[in-house]
Parts: sequence; structure tokens; C-alpha cells
Amino acid sequence: MSEKIYALLLRLYPAHFRKAYAEEALQLFRDRARDESGFFPTLRLWMDVLADLAFTVPREYFRVQRAIVTAPAPHRSHGMPAFFVLENESPRFEALLFGGVLSLLALGAIFVLSGQVGIYRPLSAWGSPSQTARLNPQNAASAMIPVAHDDANLDAAERQRVIDGAIANVNKFYVDAEVAQKTADALLAHKNSGDDDGEMDGAAFADLLTRQMKEASQDAHLEMIYNAVKTPENPPEPTPEEVARYRTDMECRNCTFEKVEILPHTNIGYLKLNAFPDTAICQSRAAAAMQRLNDVDAIIFDLRDNRGGYANMVALLATYLFDRPTHLNDFYNRSENSTEESWTLPPVPGNRLADKPVFVLTSPTTFSAAEGFSYDLKMLKRATLVGETTSGRGHMGEGHRIDDHFIIRVPGVRAVNPISKTNWDGTGVEPDVKVKAGDAVETAKKLAESHLRKYHLHNEADESKTEPIPP
Amino acid sequence: MPKKLLHGANKRLIVDYRYIDYRLTMPKKILDPLPSAAFQILISLAEEDLHGYAIMRQVAAQTDGHMRLGPGTLYSSIRTLLEAKFIQEVDLREDIKLGHERRRYYRLTSAGRKLARAEAERLGDLLRVARARKIFRGDYV
Repeated sequence: MSEKIYALLLRLYPAHFRKAYAEEALQLFRDRARDESGFFPTLRLWMDVLADLAFTVPREYFRVQRAIVTAPAPHRSHGMPAFFVLENESPRFEALLFGGVLSLLALGAIFVLSGQVGIYRPLSAWGSPSQTARLNPQNAASAMIPVAHDDANLDAAERQRVIDGAIANVNKFYVDAEVAQKTADALLAHKNSGDDDGEMDGAAFADLLTRQMKEASQDAHLEMIYNAVKTPENPPEPTPEEVARYRTDMECRNCTFEKVEILPHTNIGYLKLNAFPDTAICQSRAAAAMQRLNDVDAIIFDLRDNRGGYANMVALLATYLFDRPTHLNDFYNRSENSTEESWTLPPVPGNRLADKPVFVLTSPTTFSAAEGFSYDLKMLKRATLVGETTSGRGHMGEGHRIDDHFIIRVPGVRAVNPISKTNWDGTGVEPDVKVKAGDAVETAKKLAESHLRKYHLHNEADESKTEPIPP
Repeated sequence: MPKKLLHGANKRLIVDYRYIDYRLTMPKKILDPLPSAAFQILISLAEEDLHGYAIMRQVAAQTDGHMRLGPGTLYSSIRTLLEAKFIQEVDLREDIKLGHERRRYYRLTSAGRKLARAEAERLGDLLRVARARKIFRGDYV
């Protein structure tokens, strides 16, 4: 009985939370109820649970808004694919208060109504009130249970508009024409068979379409995004203030060069970089970092916490590792039917790293541009990758506005490596030496030392035969 | 800069595509400052992978029963930490002590460990200041 009541209470949470964690929360409740039997432990359990609900239900609703408000304003160069998550004001205090009162009323209603519910159905079968009524018409009480809604209720016309928009955008922009067609067909088939009918909740409807698209395309980057606040028709270009903010942010964080040092008791350079920032802002800092390590015998790039960024920084850093312009990657844009090549820049005068051993440290939190850097160097056999397989994000997407509240994110640009003719999307970049990410520095250091020992032994043996290198 | 266009009419001189995933940059602000529930969860995962209920019990144990995380707080925090990549989901498996239900396990990432360490150091500094200001009575060490 307790479990049923808690299962009902879970419906107070917004759809996005229920979908992700309702089953686990229920499992946790079950575990506690089993382990904490007796009057007082049970009372304590319920006190905990009710207090928990009172705090976390409003927070989960607020969370959607907050995520939108705190999204950073993206800095955008000309022609760069980017998403704009537009800022809006935080909810007013009155709105939060009203939400809190409504939650308490809903909680009371649940207690009253829970005594009348005779049939228990698992959470995953629950939908909106209209679905509940349709599925279970003999039990009108269950249809009266307040269900968590986001701000907007969808009508049939909007659902139709969003599905049509999704089909059109996928067909037009998705990077693989065949998969695009298959996905569009699947969306149409779901629509025609009535799978989308009756979904009134914006976020849940976006999730439903995302699932349908993912199932057809097997691409986790293709997604429908619901935005509770109205999305303007033309995303504005970044203002000078936003650009200035990005510049200040990067300067404060040393352009995310967290460490640039020579490992103690060695002559191995260690560079920890946590993003690939725009060279328009960070070129001089990147050059200074590489200059500082110019005389090392081997270099380790630690990209384990690198969240990605700009292809121009990938090319700039790779420039120091080659003695001639080198073809790194291609970017294929299907809607424009164009391919752009990314090359390293001409060699930097005085650079001494072009023939030094390179190690790149990777982890499951190595993302996109950092994966590009790792993958390109691996394909060119210019670096030894050490650590764990990366996250697997090799497509770049743009947001396309469908209406005031729905944006579809369609991967429209694909990195294509000129050597492998493919990329790491979905699979991640596999390291050459697989060790736990936490052990990667130590492993790379040992590998570098071992490599350098062999190199010196070889050189000593050949010293008499070697021609001196002219300055 | 050497640059070739294979086909298409795009004549930009610089490849300036940005690899982007805007969601990745959001949660950091949410975890600044780090809520105590999130900190306790990170600490609970320091030695081994745990599922949700085991995290709850571990947090209760390490706080002498003062902090009993409810399901909402626990999974809300777990979600935030997952989004910020401070923890990661590892696999679904049974906990034989609790029956045959398959449970999702969570693991601390290197970034999460670093965050927990930084927070612990911050709290350690605070403790040192409090001691220096003689906030504790008697011979508390």
C-alpha cells in the first residue's frame, strides 16, 4: 500500500524527472520500506519522503527554467553552426509561491484520492490525464489526479505542425540522406498510427519525438527540444558585450590551459587543456603555452576533461606537431553539399616539437573537438593515445526553429577524416594504450621515458655515424 | 593557409566550425557552490561504485545518520552530477544482498574526484580558521 501511495506521489514530479528516475526512486523507496519496518522507522521514512517531496518537486519544476537562464550566450563566428538558447527572466517570486501552494493542494488531493484507487499500474504506463481516462475509463478517480504539466498544453494543430516541421528539417539538413529519409518515414508512420495523439505536455512530446527519431536513426544527437519560453524567429548575432564576456571569461581561465609544465625530474612537457577555445581570442596564449614547452623531449596533451570547442584551435595546436602543413580533417555539410578541409598552418619558425613523441590522454569526458584532435593525430600516427575511449561526438548540429516553443537539433555537419574516411561519432576514439583515465598520466610518462631511453641508446650507438644537424 | 574546396560554393578562408554541445556547459553553474547533498554523494563514491540505495545508506553512515537523502534529493543530485560529468553511470547489475533486481551503478569521474577534493580542502581551510578563532570549546582537535 505504501509503495502505491509513493508511486502516486511521484507523479507530482515533472515528466522529465519521472521518465529518468521514477523507477529508481520507487526501487529506493521499496528498499527502505523493507529495511525500516516497524512503527517508528516507517513514520520516519514517511517524514523523510514528504519533506523530500516538498523540497524537490518545486525545485525540479524550477530546474527547467534555470537551465535556460544559465545557458551561456554562445560566441559565434560567421557561418559557424551553433545553437542559441535564449535568455529569459527567472520566474517571479509570486509564480514560485503559487507553484508551491498548488503543489501542497495537489499533495492533499493525492491523499484523498489514493484511497479510491483500486488498480495499480506501473509508472511507465502512465500518461497525461486524457490518456489515463482513455486507458482506464472505469476509474474516473484516477483521471482526476493532478498530473505534472509543463507550461504549455499542446493542441492537435501544434502537434501536427511540430511533426511536419521535424520531418521537413530532418529531410533537409540531416547529414546522411538515407537515414534522414528513414527517420522522416518513421515520424510519419508514428503520426499516422496515432502514437503522438493525446500528448499534451510540451517536454514529454519533445521527448517522444526524440525517442522516435533516435530509434529510426540510431543517432543520439538528433533531438527535439522544448523551450517553455518563446523563441524569437531570428536568433540574434552575439552582441559586442557577449563577445567581450567570452573574451574576459577565457582570459580569466587562461583560455582553459589549466597546466603547462615540465614533469618533475624529466624533460617531458605536460599540457592540460580543458577546451579548444577560439583562436580569435586565445591564439597568443596557445602560442605562449607551446613556446614554453618548445625544448621538451616528449609532450603529453591531457584532454581528459576537455569539453571541446573550435576546429581552428585544433589546427593551431596540431601545427606545432608537424614540419609541414598537414591535412587533419574534412567537414561535410549535407544541406550545402560542401566539404571543407581543415589543415595545420605553415610551420612556426623556431618550433622544435615537430619530431618529438606525442601522447594524448583521453577519457569518457573527452568531447567533440578534443576527440577530433585525438582522432586526427591517431590517424596520422603522430600520437599515442592513452586512457579510456572518448564520448563519441563527431557530428555538429544546428538548432532549427519550428515554432515558438519547439526547436529541432539536426546534425548537419560531419567530420570526415581523410585517412579513415569516417569519424568517431557514436563509437568514441579508442586509445592505443587502454588504462583507467586516472592512471593515464603515469602511464604516458612511463611510455615517454621508455621511448626516450631507447631513442638515446640508439643515438649513442649511432653517434659516430650521425651527421651534425646544421643550425 | 593551404585550403582546398572539394565541391560546393562555400568560399570561406578559415575553417571555423565549432564542435558544440551547449548542454555540456550548463550544469557547472548549478553546482557552484556545491550543495552538501552533492558533496556527500561524491564522497560516498570515493572508494567504490554504488547504486542509489547504497549511496543513500553510505551518506547516512558517513554523516552519523544526520543526512538521509530522500529519493527526490538523491536522484535530482545524481542527475545534476551526471550532467556535469562528475559521476557516470557504469552498468546495470544485481546487488545480491538486496535481491535479484538489477540496479544502476554510479562511478566517480576524475573531474568529480577533483571537485570533491577541492571542496574538502575548502572546508578544511574553514575548519582551520574556526579553530584559530577558538570557536571550539575544550580540547577539541
